[in-house]
Amino acid sequence: MTDSLLSTSKVAKRYGAVVALRSVDLVVQPGEIHALLGANGAGKSTLVKILTGVVAPNEGTIAINGRAVRFTSPIAAQRFGLAPVFQDPALIPDLTVIENLRLTGADIGGVREWLSKMDLGGIDLTEQARDLTLPVLRMLDLARAVSRDPYLLLLDEITAALPVDLAARVIAVMQEWKKRGRSVLFISHRLAEVRAVCDVATVLRDGCNVDSFATADGGEARMVSAMLGDTTKAEREEKRSIVGRSSTYRRTTGVSASENSARGHTVPPVLEVRDLRIGGLDGVSFELRAGEVLGVAALEGQGQDLLFDALAGDRRPASGQILVNGRRLVARHPADAIREGVALIPADRLHALLPQRSVRENLSTAFFRRPRAWGPINLRAERDQVDSAIERLSIDTRAQAQVRRLSGGNQQKVTIGRWLTAGFQVLLCFDPTRGIDVGTKHQIYDLVRELAAAGNAVLLFTSELREIALVCDRAIVLYDGRITAELPAAEADEETLLNAAHGLADVPRGVA
Amino acid sequence: MSIAVVPDSNEQGAHSARPRQRVNRFVQRHAWTVGVWVLFAMLVVWYASRLQSFGNFEKASILTTAVAAVYAAMGQGIVILGGGIDLGLGSMVILANCVSAKWMNGHGLAACLGLAVVVVVLAVALGAGIGWIIHRSGVPDIIVTLATSFSLFGLALFILPSPGGGTSPSFAHIVTGSDSGEVYWPAILCLAVPFLVVWLPLRRRRVVLSIYAAGSDRNAAFLSGVSMARTKITSYALGSLFAALAGLATTAVTGSGEPRFSTASAFTLNAVAAAVLGGVALNGGVGGMIGPIAAALALSLLSPILTQLQDGFSWMDSNMAEIVKGLILILVVMLGGYARTRRSKVI
Repeated sequence: MTDSLLSTSKVAKRYGAVVALRSVDLVVQPGEIHALLGANGAGKSTLVKILTGVVAPNEGTIAINGRAVRFTSPIAAQRFGLAPVFQDPALIPDLTVIENLRLTGADIGGVREWLSKMDLGGIDLTEQARDLTLPVLRMLDLARAVSRDPYLLLLDEITAALPVDLAARVIAVMQEWKKRGRSVLFISHRLAEVRAVCDVATVLRDGCNVDSFATADGGEARMVSAMLGDTTKAEREEKRSIVGRSSTYRRTTGVSASENSARGHTVPPVLEVRDLRIGGLDGVSFELRAGEVLGVAALEGQGQDLLFDALAGDRRPASGQILVNGRRLVARHPADAIREGVALIPADRLHALLPQRSVRENLSTAFFRRPRAWGPINLRAERDQVDSAIERLSIDTRAQAQVRRLSGGNQQKVTIGRWLTAGFQVLLCFDPTRGIDVGTKHQIYDLVRELAAAGNAVLLFTSELREIALVCDRAIVLYDGRITAELPAAEADEETLLNAAHGLADVPRGVA
Repeated sequence: MSIAVVPDSNEQGAHSARPRQRVNRFVQRHAWTVGVWVLFAMLVVWYASRLQSFGNFEKASILTTAVAAVYAAMGQGIVILGGGIDLGLGSMVILANCVSAKWMNGHGLAACLGLAVVVVVLAVALGAGIGWIIHRSGVPDIIVTLATSFSLFGLALFILPSPGGGTSPSFAHIVTGSDSGEVYWPAILCLAVPFLVVWLPLRRRRVVLSIYAAGSDRNAAFLSGVSMARTKITSYALGSLFAALAGLATTAVTGSGEPRFSTASAFTLNAVAAAVLGGVALNGGVGGMIGPIAAALALSLLSPILTQLQDGFSWMDSNMAEIVKGLILILVVMLGGYARTRRSKVI
């Protein structure tokens, strides 16, 4: 084991109370292309940050060529022969490419050489980095990393959003690196690519390494099942109980997933999106009906944030239409969307709240948006509204003087609660249960179902794929800015969703 | 596909298109700086046309009064480029002014120059310390430098409690040229030399590139291996170097030290105004020094111009200069913001 190029032992990282990495043992041998896999939140990016010296681990050791090392900064990691290419290129937008290379002390001749080897000799190095496209920046970053002649090249989702021909050039560089007896640690969501290029794969789940195997041995199926893990008995039971409960909601309101799609042509949709294009979002269309919870599943960075921003009026789509109750919504400001009854629960709770103000004020901010609310606030009306919202959401009001002192789950309830007081038709929830404890998660699931039962429509993006089957009636899967699958909740088990979210083609396109 | 993302080197006509692209790009990158110089030139022409004569004396008086403001603008510009802001810059100017005026009084040129070097070195050390404090404490730049603006001014008062002091006439001539004020080229030299000797050689080196990087994108800079501590320290040290030069220039021009807080804050704020007007983005990373130099010159012209305007319009007052300065600043910054959003939409 001492001659392994890189080995980590029991590496762990906590951010406050949140455990990002529990314990990871990773071994990379010289001359191999090693894949690092894992679902969202499995700890891949934290591990990369640790290996590149961006953050320091709380526990565990890292050894290079058998010698224990400690990285205090990105430069320190580079000195040990590790060269990373991050998902967001580490080029300074306001400097020219040449200045960027000079800044990092890169060998400009070497970078030029690698660029021409990659068939990119035509890039003008006096161009400012901000004027170059993301794929070009990534390739430059790669050329810069390779020109350092590292022992280990760390590529963090470098091929994501790269056109096919450039991705092929990246892979050629990786193979050349292997030929030289050096190694590559490759992180990618494209499993087919991983199987074709990588020798060994290590799979992370919940902050631990759960499996490590030769990619030829098992293929994509083994990768996916390792990423998901075995559903334990307890989890299966929990699932049954919630599905049972949510089906009672459906029964009481007489709206179910199948009925919804059956009635599809008779009930006009509350929200209709037609061929929406913005940034990486490449022509998305779907409909959302009253009483329905539509799940959105996607890996990180497939355009889901743009979709939600566009619907909430935070960004203007490049083309396409958004219709609310059949009327076209052209929102110049979130207030325009809110006026039409489209409310957003954003990913970052504290971003949506006034963290230093009280629960009461936070619940009533959206309420006083109405134009007639000039003049003094009617305190009694406010109190009644707020009290009923607190009661309905069972918000823990012990720390109500300042919202930032509430727990994450209670904060999330407040962000939802403000729309209960203000009124809405379509609720856009962007990963509402991220970082929330299990008990509160269930309360939020229940709340979402209740809201739908009351005749509202909910669009729910979640990074926890199992929530789709738990809470939603129907699901769409985004991959690379497009909808790659649409299926009823009953068929939306994690494996199907994960396959579709990785762009693996064998998913039936359901009731589209 | 590759043609869309990557300029193809084999493409016919790529070479003929290139010079034109370069011209376009030069215009795009430097239009702002050119615009500020044009503004300055227009103000000079207008001012000259209203005077009975525009001779050496007038030129010298414009330039010598501007020297200190230009230095301060450059110092503030460097700090802002690095993503900070130095509210204590004006106090540093006054401190340098008071220290030099107190101990230069009655000495010859050699002693004055020696003292000037000492003042610059001390200011650089103080600036480095301020940068270090900001980095270590994690307190925002604006708070730390607000604090230093009081402390440095207090130090100046401690050293020179009331206006006074003096300098050697020969030292004063370095900026003013002569007692009669008929020679203006020393002032031009004073404006150009620090730019040529300090800024230009550093501009393409890692020291200053790191400052740009930290101001442009902190995260990317960190990932590129730029040391945040060193960058903060160098940007404030360089800023204080120029502040010290501004203080020495003030001593040379006025021949005394004046510990007045209003002067200090005017230096600070005019420097911020000139840096922003000169094309330095307030959140850092964008801009140069040529623009702020022109902007500082233009702003220091406003007061004499408005005094001149009193001839035609009796209600005009040189105090109006401040109002006009404010209006110009907000107009120009709005224009800049508008131009920037236009540009980002095109891409």
